[in-house]
Amino acid sequence: MTTNTVLTEVGAAVPARNVLEALKAVIDPELGIDVVNLGLVYEVRVTGGSAHVELTLTTPGCPLHASIEAQVVACLEAVPGVDDGSVDLVWDPPWTPMSMTDEAKRQLGFF
Amino acid sequence: MTLPRAASGGAHPLLPVSALVGGALALVAGAAWLLAEPQAISGFVGSPGSVALTHLFTLLFVTLIYLGTLQQLPAVLLVTDLEWRASGWVTVPLFVSGAVLLVWGFASGFRPIALAAGGGAVVVALGIAAAQVLATARKSPPKDPASRGLVTAVCYMFLAVTLGLLLAGARSSPLVATAVGYPATLHQTTGIIGAFMLGIVASGHKLLSMFALSKGGPLWRVRAAIALTHGVVALSALAAVAPLAGWPPTLSRIASDAAILLVSFVAAMQFIEVGALLRRRLRRRLEAPVERYVLAHAFLPLAGVMFAVGSQTAAAVALLLGFVGLAVSGMLVKILSFLTWTSAFGAARDAAAPPPLLKDLSRAWLEPVITAGLTLGALAATLAILTGSLLAARLAASALLVGSSAQLLQVLTVVMRTLGRQWRPASTAVTTK
Repeated sequence: MTTNTVLTEVGAAVPARNVLEALKAVIDPELGIDVVNLGLVYEVRVTGGSAHVELTLTTPGCPLHASIEAQVVACLEAVPGVDDGSVDLVWDPPWTPMSMTDEAKRQLGFF
Repeated sequence: MTLPRAASGGAHPLLPVSALVGGALALVAGAAWLLAEPQAISGFVGSPGSVALTHLFTLLFVTLIYLGTLQQLPAVLLVTDLEWRASGWVTVPLFVSGAVLLVWGFASGFRPIALAAGGGAVVVALGIAAAQVLATARKSPPKDPASRGLVTAVCYMFLAVTLGLLLAGARSSPLVATAVGYPATLHQTTGIIGAFMLGIVASGHKLLSMFALSKGGPLWRVRAAIALTHGVVALSALAAVAPLAGWPPTLSRIASDAAILLVSFVAAMQFIEVGALLRRRLRRRLEAPVERYVLAHAFLPLAGVMFAVGSQTAAAVALLLGFVGLAVSGMLVKILSFLTWTSAFGAARDAAAPPPLLKDLSRAWLEPVITAGLTLGALAATLAILTGSLLAARLAASALLVGSSAQLLQVLTVVMRTLGRQWRPASTAVTTK
């Protein structure tokens, strides 16, 4: 199963799909699964050389949010062609397990 | 070695980390002491050694870990900065020195000066901690019943030690005894039910939901548990005050029986709530410390059985060592991992060198040793109290020593791997191409 992340490009210097692939390097340290497979990335928007990500977390108030946000920004800015990375933490819609890929579900013991 | 940064919102991480390590160390000391003096739980439970060990466990293990957690958790739960962040530098050392003096005062034959000085220090320290939590909650009022329950539990913790100080005063001065009586049951009920059980109900609801990815569900059981806990303390207070006011003894007995009934409701509510959280969980495989927290709840019905067979002391031991001990131990490892990880890697921005997973900070093989040791220890201690068996007491002490030593090693491992950044990833993170 693939993710439902919305990919938007406006005069993009780099394909949004490449940016999404790069975000697979950001791992939730509690679950050990990357944020893309967990379905935490709602949108990747690339405008010129700027990449913006809308991200949620599995639990509101998660104490790890600062670290995950920092990792996402670092990943965005490490993508060749991206000059500026930014992230918005959003809670609407709330995360559900249906957002996860099959691999993530298997890892959490769903199957 | 890289020292941790101050985590945003809470106190400097060195404070909670040292309190958590201190709590783990205290349990090892208590278990070693029990091994040297097993008759403390197989003999007269009002003996100096028995009372000293009880206070070592409740103050220097459970409350010290609570106090350490309070340096960070309220800021996370209430989503605000902790008020008077630096006050922990006063409260934690004051509490530890007071509790050590208190334990020594009990162990050396109830020395009034040590009990007064130690008890006074503990009361002041927890008074400041409670005021800090209340001030933080005033700035950002709790929005859910679990957060409100945690704030309430901290207030009961302060009340419990204040009642303990009054009890010590009543035992050394007839004047104090005339004024306040001997509020032993009220002191114990406020501590075990008001502070510890409510604290586990409230913080456990939040933490178990987070660690097990348990979504949604009604909150009425948490609300009910808080209301029932207030009822338990109020009825216990009525039972304690009735003889002083010259009210009929029947009233005191009825209040006392009603309080016990409400305690069983709180316990049943928590038992059902944990089951409901687990049924709603998205994470099917729980981590070992979380399993230990869940296992703790098996001691609730055991305590009920002990009570039904007429041994209140055995019921109290099952509640304290089994339920409270295992629940605190489970959360200790998880909270410490979060705390140290957030401090060391919270702002990591190096895409080429991602931080370790939380589970890579601990040694997996230690977890079953901790769980087996502490569980067997709590079961054997309950049996020792029930039967007066010295063999069961020795078994309890040995098992507790093994479990608590493994726990201390685990705690030190987490701290050293984080501060020294010497983790070795034991597992590969899951991702797809």
